[in-house]
Amino acid sequence: MPEQAITQPEIDAVFPKVAQTIADALGCDLDEVKPKSSLIEDLDAESIDFLDLVFRLEKGFGVKIPRGKIVEDARGPLPESEFESKGVVTEAGLARLRQFLDEVPTERIKTPLKAAEVPRLFTAETFCKVVIRAQRAAA
Amino acid sequence: MNGRFRSFSFVDRITLCSAHRVEGHYTVPVDATRFPASLMAEAVGQLAAWASMSQLDFAIRPVAGLAAEAHYGQVPQPGQRLELQADIERCDAEAVAYRGSATIDGQLAVEIIDCVGPMLPMAQFDDPEAVRADFHTLCGGGVPAGRFGGVPAPLLSQIETTGSERLQALLSVPLAEAAPYFDDHFPRRAVFPGTLLLDALADLAVQLAQRSAPLRDAAALLPSRVTHVKIRSFTEPGAVLQLEVELLDADADRARLKLAARGDGKTVATARVEVVRRSPA
Repeated sequence: MPEQAITQPEIDAVFPKVAQTIADALGCDLDEVKPKSSLIEDLDAESIDFLDLVFRLEKGFGVKIPRGKIVEDARGPLPESEFESKGVVTEAGLARLRQFLDEVPTERIKTPLKAAEVPRLFTAETFCKVVIRAQRAAA
Repeated sequence: MNGRFRSFSFVDRITLCSAHRVEGHYTVPVDATRFPASLMAEAVGQLAAWASMSQLDFAIRPVAGLAAEAHYGQVPQPGQRLELQADIERCDAEAVAYRGSATIDGQLAVEIIDCVGPMLPMAQFDDPEAVRADFHTLCGGGVPAGRFGGVPAPLLSQIETTGSERLQALLSVPLAEAAPYFDDHFPRRAVFPGTLLLDALADLAVQLAQRSAPLRDAAALLPSRVTHVKIRSFTEPGAVLQLEVELLDADADRARLKLAARGDGKTVATARVEVVRRSPA
């Protein structure tokens, strides 16, 4: 079943708490966290910060975010072999990412993109959507 | 492998190990030269690690990562027995999440909350079959107490103040051959234990707090809470880390400080600590 589109009012409703959670996890100022901020490139997040953030979001919002779920959702219906080839995201994979991560400026989703670097694309708004999907799954 | 259970193992016996709960105990050796409070948190973390490794068939193991809070109720004395327990909140291929505590004679010694240990392949750190055998030893009769000789005080140098609210120092991590704990901590990969790094940072924090006006008259201070712990990367033997502590606020009873350790221009670990006056014995 296709995913019901996430609306801007839904994102606006969770953003303040998600932004505060990001600021707490990364130890940065709240006003540095903008919806389009890339957590890695703009806020210097590392892998341990993503782990920290996901656990904080789970506790803060009372939801479960299964491990690997974000990347798995980003890949969508594409099998791994069609999403990437030799560690690089395929054209079909890039098209899927542009659709799924529509909060990310399209110029940032360009070839060659290593599959391992997909998390570099994630923005604060990406995590708003993660929370909204988890809330929907729990409803 | 000579160091197994000898110099950085803080569980003597596991008395209960179920999917969500693990219990055990550890006795601080009577002749341990130095047993900092952070090693009580290490003991609880090791207990949770044993439970998580057994759940995942010893293919992967957790390493130090995050701890939202550790608060200390007392300082352990040589010969005292720590009753350890941990509740495993989540355990999968990515991480183990847990909370736990240690008590001495029924009184809380340390409680740690919202800890997360990222998982890495076991074979990088130890022989999986040897670890499995160690687990069965701990779940059976256990290992004899009294093996640990203590850890030396952190080797801090070039301690410098920046104004009245910052203190910096260099921490010289020992070489592997000079510190037996490396061999027991991760036999296949020498890594400076995160709890010893926190011990060094707390030591520096106490020095700065003692220089603050409200606490200058304190006979002794000690860490009571450590929060926001984040260990970002491994520290190799022989490394020199830049430690920095920053005073956030202080009153007549306590001070709160921000802690950071950096190596090669990158942040290795961060935390916050609250130090209080040591009560008269």
